[in-house]
Amino acid sequence: MSETHEAPVVRENLWMKALRTAGVPLLSVVFAMAIGSIIIAASGKDPVLAFGALLKGAFGSPEQWQIGNFRAFGDTISRATPLAFAGLAIAFGFRANLFNIGANGQLLLGAVTAAFLGLVLGGQPTWVAIPLILIGAALAGAAWAFIPAILKAKVGAHEVITTMMFSWIALYLTSWIISGPLKDAAGNSQTPMLPQAVWLPTLDQLLPGIFRVPVRAHLGFIIAIALAVLVWWILKKTTLGYGVRAVGFNQWAAQNGGISIAITTVYALCISGALAGLAGASEVLGVQHRMFDEVSAGSGFGFTGIAVALLAKNHPIAVIFSAILFGALSAGAGMMQLTANVPDKIIMIVQALIIFFVGAETVITWLIKRRQKLALEREGDSDVA
Amino acid sequence: MWLSFFTPDLFASAIRMATPLALAAIGGTICERSGVVNIALEGMMLVGAFFGVVVTLATGNVWLGVVAAIVAGVLLSAIHAFASVTLRMDQVVSGTALNILALGLTGFLMEVIYGHPGATNGIAHKIGPVFNFPTGGTGVLATIWTWVDQIVFSYTPIVYIAIIIAIVAQWAMYRTRWGLRLRALGEHPRAADTVGVRVQAGRYVAVLISGALGGLAGANLTLEQVGVFSDNMTSGRGFIALAANIFGRWTPVGSYLASLLFGFAEAIEIRMQSFQQGNQIPVQFFLMLPYVLVVIVLAGFMGRAVGPAAIGKPYEKE
Repeated sequence: MSETHEAPVVRENLWMKALRTAGVPLLSVVFAMAIGSIIIAASGKDPVLAFGALLKGAFGSPEQWQIGNFRAFGDTISRATPLAFAGLAIAFGFRANLFNIGANGQLLLGAVTAAFLGLVLGGQPTWVAIPLILIGAALAGAAWAFIPAILKAKVGAHEVITTMMFSWIALYLTSWIISGPLKDAAGNSQTPMLPQAVWLPTLDQLLPGIFRVPVRAHLGFIIAIALAVLVWWILKKTTLGYGVRAVGFNQWAAQNGGISIAITTVYALCISGALAGLAGASEVLGVQHRMFDEVSAGSGFGFTGIAVALLAKNHPIAVIFSAILFGALSAGAGMMQLTANVPDKIIMIVQALIIFFVGAETVITWLIKRRQKLALEREGDSDVA
Repeated sequence: MWLSFFTPDLFASAIRMATPLALAAIGGTICERSGVVNIALEGMMLVGAFFGVVVTLATGNVWLGVVAAIVAGVLLSAIHAFASVTLRMDQVVSGTALNILALGLTGFLMEVIYGHPGATNGIAHKIGPVFNFPTGGTGVLATIWTWVDQIVFSYTPIVYIAIIIAIVAQWAMYRTRWGLRLRALGEHPRAADTVGVRVQAGRYVAVLISGALGGLAGANLTLEQVGVFSDNMTSGRGFIALAANIFGRWTPVGSYLASLLFGFAEAIEIRMQSFQQGNQIPVQFFLMLPYVLVVIVLAGFMGRAVGPAAIGKPYEKE
């Protein structure tokens, strides 16, 4: 029915398509900011001052840019980096209809593995050590997702429970590792500082011509972008990606089409775990340069990663932009609190509203399309009559 | 050593710790049985815990605090119901958004109302135990009485209410017309609709009940256990409740028993903090035991945890 009444196909170029896809998330951000402003005003503060400070805290000011000072933007990017990895991890799971709610556990395992390998491989040349550490952390994350994956595939144990249970186990396991075998010389619950050879270089070290002032953003973000492209390619162009999307779309149809749900599930959850493991590794190698209890437990990148994936509608490239947005909100919040005296928690309210509007958008578009279709069908019927 | 570890107080503590988990888990059971996924239990507990304290501080009446906690949970769940039933939004998306909203809203209002981040002011009097029997003395009888008093009679009201709710909900779900209809909504909403059950209204009721129970769980945390609200104080309990619901195979009593397992773990965790001397095994290995146990049970003994067939699927009347 719908095929016959389709409007003539207009070939969109990539930019038009991107704009159309990004339009609604952008509008959602604007709406969320508007409601956030109302809440700020209701609490007796100045919303214009607040969001101005937020923007400045997240991106800096033109005067700073002119002298090559991208410190604020670097802060945003450094906060966006683990969110990008975690967002990719969760988005990949969602694509196969798997909710990897315990990504935080895989992230912790990746982080502690990175710290361990960093201490072991510290004497090696950087270009040997860092790839090996990253591979090790990814494998650790994948391994931590492997048992939940097998349990899902073999006995149908719900991944929401198993990955979450493994996330708690990871929390205690890593807590023991860093307070026992790997504790620092002073006996604190943290690993020793990693040798500088395994630190991920910051962007000012990589591109001194552009970043003339030290920034916290590091190579990890570029790796995240590369991985986003890789994940997009896997989903779009490979047999595995086809299987993942097919299982995510319709299990029974996929099975009838000869795709093994069990094998696809194991691959999808392990890849998701590997990406989460890299989130932990990038935080350890790029920002903290050691592993301590709060690396993930307090900040919960794995959970914010869920929001990042949802805002990106599980599209790997969109995850990067979504992560930058969440990174910017988090980086600008401090400045907002300082300048406008607005509690930084308003950021979470705005984040929640963004996710809500993006989620509602899908529904609203669908409703409008359905209306139009019904109207067209009615017209078609009257034409016949 | 072990005698001084397994005191009656440890078991009583387990039941106390299980209470907020159980209330939220039963809420989750009812909600999910109607076909609506509820990962916003965490947020519902959080707003309940927060507004319970706010209203108690404002009015001086802790029972008004309990009512406020329930109302706050219901209001948050009403958003979830509107989004997932009326708007037919993705229920995981809505739940995630509400969890973040609850975290942000409570943190924001805390600073606006009390002028400092981190925690609210403390309430003057927490809700005390229902019974207050004399204990003490020596001899076998006195020891037995101490155990009975601790394990049976030492709790605050919401602890008993949670047990009653578990039993009543189990009865209602399997022995009443409401329960039959509720289960039909989650298994085959089209069939339920065909025989005249109002699917959307039924789902609204179920989601709102889960909000009320989540709010009550929050009230138990702040008004009975801690006496003050601190930032993100539920710290993942809503998600554990979700696991308890699945572990309890989507039944109210099952949810309660699964919560008891986690409650026991939490009680041991607290006990361990004051019991570390001379211990060869690192405390973390004790702490991870319940979670390992759940995985083993899921892997070996329970087989497939099969949820309601129509869970997470919005229903559209034809």
